[in-house]
Amino acid sequence: MAGEGKKSRFLRHWPRFLLIIPFLLVVYVPFYNRIEPTLGGIPFFYWYQLAAILLGAAVVVVVYLLETRVTRTTEGATEEIDSSGTPGDIL
Amino acid sequence: MSLDVTAASVFVALFLFVTWVGFIAARWRKADLNLLHEWGLGGRRFGTVVTWFLLGGDLYTAYTFIAVPALVYGVGAMGFFAVPYTIMIYPILFLVFPRLWAIARERGHVTAADYIRDRFDSRLLALAVALTGLLATMPYIALQLVGMEVVIGALGFPAGGFTGHLPLIIAFIILAAFTYTSGLRAPALIAVVKDLLIFITIFAAIVIIPAKLGGYGAIFASVPKEKLLLASPSGDTLGSYSAFFTLALGSAMALFLYPHSMTGILSASSGKVIRRNAAALSAYSFVLGLIALLGYMAIAAGVGQNPIYAAGFEQFGANFAVPALFLDMFPSWFVGVAFAAIAIGALVPAAIMSIACANLFTRNLYKEYWRPDCTDAEEARMAKIVSLVVKVGAVLFILAIPQAYAIQLQLLGGIWIIQLLPPILLGLFTRSVNAHALLLGWAVGTALGTYMAATRGFVSSIYPLEILGVTLPGYAALYSVIVNFLVAAALSPVFDRLWPRTGALDRASNRR
Repeated sequence: MAGEGKKSRFLRHWPRFLLIIPFLLVVYVPFYNRIEPTLGGIPFFYWYQLAAILLGAAVVVVVYLLETRVTRTTEGATEEIDSSGTPGDIL
Repeated sequence: MSLDVTAASVFVALFLFVTWVGFIAARWRKADLNLLHEWGLGGRRFGTVVTWFLLGGDLYTAYTFIAVPALVYGVGAMGFFAVPYTIMIYPILFLVFPRLWAIARERGHVTAADYIRDRFDSRLLALAVALTGLLATMPYIALQLVGMEVVIGALGFPAGGFTGHLPLIIAFIILAAFTYTSGLRAPALIAVVKDLLIFITIFAAIVIIPAKLGGYGAIFASVPKEKLLLASPSGDTLGSYSAFFTLALGSAMALFLYPHSMTGILSASSGKVIRRNAAALSAYSFVLGLIALLGYMAIAAGVGQNPIYAAGFEQFGANFAVPALFLDMFPSWFVGVAFAAIAIGALVPAAIMSIACANLFTRNLYKEYWRPDCTDAEEARMAKIVSLVVKVGAVLFILAIPQAYAIQLQLLGGIWIIQLLPPILLGLFTRSVNAHALLLGWAVGTALGTYMAATRGFVSSIYPLEILGVTLPGYAALYSVIVNFLVAAALSPVFDRLWPRTGALDRASNRR
């Protein structure tokens, strides 16, 4: 399944690259290590990170939905392959 | 402190209720519990909702509920690393673990060491993985007892001596009994009760407590300025910035390598269930963020200065902040509910951890080295007995050894468990990687990480790494696992050249 596998795998799993977003949200600490702007008296450091949880969850939901749709439309992608969750060699 | 009768009665009633739930769990989705994958993995039949409760109950432990706000109470912003940590665990769960689940299901693996044994055909590497898992989990179980001990003490049960430990011992006998009879089904069902109680408690806390303290603005205004933010680095160091982020990232990478997380994941009924939960479990992250804020509420309420709680703080340190806050703010009956939530929150992970240890011991030590051809029934019976032994060990540990050691060992546990990342990740996602190279990487990473923690006297896992004159204080687990990766990657082609493979090596490779 080497040649034809690689291509369809990429098509099926491109949304996974979006999963870098949750990491980007929190990697640059100086960005959110601040008091202002406050939200209802809560410093930015705290409400930003709580909001980032929701954003991170939203990204995972989007990836899940996109992937389910892509899988359905990719030729020859059976439920069996989907349940294995193989992202191939892209890590 | 005298015994709060109302709170204690509610507490005991809820505890008896979950005991009953634990025992009837044996009849839930009835199957032959004399098979290890039925007893120890719930037959791999848990759907999205049950897995959500089980993993939530498994990962967000009583110790988390006590220790995270205690850290925020004590050191402020740095304690909030738990939030970016929980943000980063879910992409990792989504990408890596459905694949492990699929292979484990196909090949009948019950533990991570089973997978490693099959994938690399290396008994030594599997042994390293199994021992690491056992060593890292034991102090973690002991810490669950610490969480339980704090709330039992806060209820006003007499402290000290044998009578002081009696409630804890009774709780653990109950735990041991229902784990023995029902296996993973018990914590799965109890987790539903536990999570409902936790959610009720936290939502009451974030509404009622700020209302009493004059709103979130007033709470944050009462926190000392230097605690509110991370200290800005000065000079040639990244200071608390790199410490904060590496602590979060390293903890996230380590979480699902723990045997109890692995047990939770492998008991799911499909890869889809795991991926759905990678999104849905964020609800717990959000609650954890709110729980962390309880530390500041405790500061604002001034429980640390209140003479009523002085004895509690003296006995349990900052870990007493949350119980004191609840005692201060809630009516007695609701204190009972909240403390029961925390104590049951210790039972669920403690049960899963002991099952995970039992699976590891039975599969990867007993069957591998003593009784290679033992029957399925013998295997399951052995696991049940080991789950008892593990719990007795944890209780003795907490009674006989100062609490500080349990905390230090758990800190080391995080450093040790992350060293399993290269074998599992490279095993899942690459075709060719050499087992001996992985074993050497594991040994180097474990030694280096332990050394880094030793230089800090085992009280902190933040190691001040110096690169080109810049100091990067960071999580020793993360630094040491990077070295582990590099060693494995560099030596793999060398070892392949020295000892060419003999066929069987890639038996459970990712070629499907």
